Amino acid sequence: MFRSFLSWRYLTARRTNLIGISGILVGVGALILILSIMTGFLEQSRDTVRGSLSDLIVAPVQGQGWSSRSVPSEPERLLKEVRAKEGVRSATAHLNWFGLMTLPDRVGHNQRLLGSSEHAGYSGVHLVGIDVRTDERLLGVIAAAPLMARGLRYTPPPLQDELTTTELLNGLAREPRNGARVRNPLRPFAPPPGYDPVGRPLPRVVVGEQLFGMLGLGRGSVLELMTAVQDPTSGEWGFNNRRFAVAGTFRSGENEMDLGRIYMERGELADFLGETLSFSEVLVRLDEYDGEGTRIRDELRSELAEAGVIRGGDHAFREVRTWEEFRGNLIGAIENERVLMMIMLSLVLLVAGFTVFAILSMMVTEKRRDIGILCAIGATPKGILDTFLYIAFWDALIGATLGALIGTWAAFKIDPIERWLSDKLGVEIFNRDVYLFDHIPSIVDPFAVALIVMGAFTCALLFAAIPALRAARLDPLTALRYE
Amino acid sequence: MSEPVNTPGPEEANEEANEELRAEPNVEPAGPPRGGPPPPRPTPDLGAPIPDATERVPVLSVRGLRRSYKIGDRNLEILHGIDLDLHPGELVALVGSSGAGKSTLLHILGLLDRPTEGQVNVLAQDAWSRSTVERAHLRNKEIGFVFQFYHLLPELTALENALLPAMIANSRAGYRRHKDELEGRAHELLDRFGMTPRLQHRPSALSGGERQRVAMARALLHNPRILLADEPTGNLDSATGEKVLSLLFEEQRRREFTMVLVTHDERIAKLCRRTLHMEDGLIQADSTIPMPD
Repeated sequence: MFRSFLSWRYLTARRTNLIGISGILVGVGALILILSIMTGFLEQSRDTVRGSLSDLIVAPVQGQGWSSRSVPSEPERLLKEVRAKEGVRSATAHLNWFGLMTLPDRVGHNQRLLGSSEHAGYSGVHLVGIDVRTDERLLGVIAAAPLMARGLRYTPPPLQDELTTTELLNGLAREPRNGARVRNPLRPFAPPPGYDPVGRPLPRVVVGEQLFGMLGLGRGSVLELMTAVQDPTSGEWGFNNRRFAVAGTFRSGENEMDLGRIYMERGELADFLGETLSFSEVLVRLDEYDGEGTRIRDELRSELAEAGVIRGGDHAFREVRTWEEFRGNLIGAIENERVLMMIMLSLVLLVAGFTVFAILSMMVTEKRRDIGILCAIGATPKGILDTFLYIAFWDALIGATLGALIGTWAAFKIDPIERWLSDKLGVEIFNRDVYLFDHIPSIVDPFAVALIVMGAFTCALLFAAIPALRAARLDPLTALRYE
Repeated sequence: MSEPVNTPGPEEANEEANEELRAEPNVEPAGPPRGGPPPPRPTPDLGAPIPDATERVPVLSVRGLRRSYKIGDRNLEILHGIDLDLHPGELVALVGSSGAGKSTLLHILGLLDRPTEGQVNVLAQDAWSRSTVERAHLRNKEIGFVFQFYHLLPELTALENALLPAMIANSRAGYRRHKDELEGRAHELLDRFGMTPRLQHRPSALSGGERQRVAMARALLHNPRILLADEPTGNLDSATGEKVLSLLFEEQRRREFTMVLVTHDERIAKLCRRTLHMEDGLIQADSTIPMPD
């Protein structure tokens, strides 16, 4: 029993051991805290990125020019095929285009805000045409009312549109920071309250909250959009411009989207583009993505190609993708950052290991005579080795346990801690406007915590092995004569 | 000395350090001593009586013992071939001038140093043909050391220092199982040495004499058959030294262990029945005072 007993005495008798324990504590605590925050960021970012995309993206290659006969230029057949697929909850069509935007009333103002004097206040925006079928559904229910009044059961067909397929509804309903919520998130393009134009009402758009705030827009503000489209028959480029009224804002949490995306009805955008294109892609929401996503993607690739609604063949890999494949770079970047952070913080543990090594090396030198005495009264070399390894074990046990407790606690309480620190230091540590998160996302992964604690033990014991072996190999006589 | 020596078999002699020691916790009874009740005290104090040493098996014997050290390119031989038998219950003084090889011989007898040549038999077995673990076991159970500079562990109290051999010999569970018995034995020894009021003191709070008494209690905890004392009074004033020595001799008489006492002091040597005079790495004279009728 002398190994654990004596090692504990050596540990408590020397205050320098506190340095080793503190090193492990800080390493484990910091690693758990930072990893939890990074995991939280990753998950939050995944949700955000996924939110605008849904689970699968089917983007048929529509050939050279838009008149290609290889795949239908209208989305209905594709939608029908996709919706018929088992495991698909909802599907909707998107029409994507790019345009330039300006505020017709405030050109000079735009110029200053956008910092783009060369383009006279025009700003590039991503135009997204979407289907919102709330009215259609409402009409269906109204039409069925007489039947229902006669006691007949009527179940309206499941609604499949943008609001059921992506997270746009959440983006519309979310409490805005710099924006203005649309009147009814289920009818986002309805005229905003107080909108009473002179003459024909303008078509409505929903803009990203950051763009809205930056330009100082209000509900009912007028935007002028300009696009360039190629004539499908002559091949000549034509330029269209049209004015729209702002119905309200959405907040996705993704910087790029909230700053540069404008939603409008797909039919409206197709009309604006001169009916040259009716859809760009079909977004698909699955019943269960995590287990079934790739299987359904693979099946859709072949089934849709067979049905002639996508080109298939070599193109199939680009035509049907999961959202992770679509945004692989972004997700990969965050994941890389997390791994890099973990590697960097592991260095803290390495430093703690070095500290344990240094302290134990000192202790072995200091305790040479004790080692000789122990040998003289019957301790074996392995007993000596174990005694010094036990010291590292105690270091790791205390340091890693406290570190894990403190790190986990801090990960759970990161928001109050950040607010308290910001308050005390007078500096905003976490800028909620930059990250667009209401809180610092933090997810404590018990497996990662266990792994970090095990890492701390391994590190401490490995570094302790060298001085412990030195102690075990000491010649008892030399050790006894040591003064 | 009829009690068999409990040593592990060769198959157990592996890297598993003290496992053999743990397998059988060392809880030999503190008393009565191995040889029965102490006999009447002889005058002068010549140690325990040895009825007929020649008829008994030596507890420790060495044959052709040589020890040399390599210093640079040359070999420096300290012991030049020593033959020696130590019998149960013998009290032996090892005297000689500095550099005669007394301490080297003592360390070899205590299995702390390996001879360059020759054989060391402890309890009729060649110690250096046995494993490291078995030798550690012998040092723990059969050989006690008392050093000139006490060599106590500064982090432990007097009681803990005395109990250290038992902690080494037993696993945690084994120690707990026999805790009362082991601590009772340590208490008894320390009490006999007048250390009861100082049990919880660390060595730094003890006087030289007190430290040496704790070291003696540690050496005697397992009731060893051999006690090797390297100038135990060399670091004490004469009055304290005498007290310490009388306690040591008393224990030797009670327990009848074989004691080898390294000393420079002829007066102390005269208290021992047998005296070995060492000179230049050889035992030049081996004299025994006959037992009084």
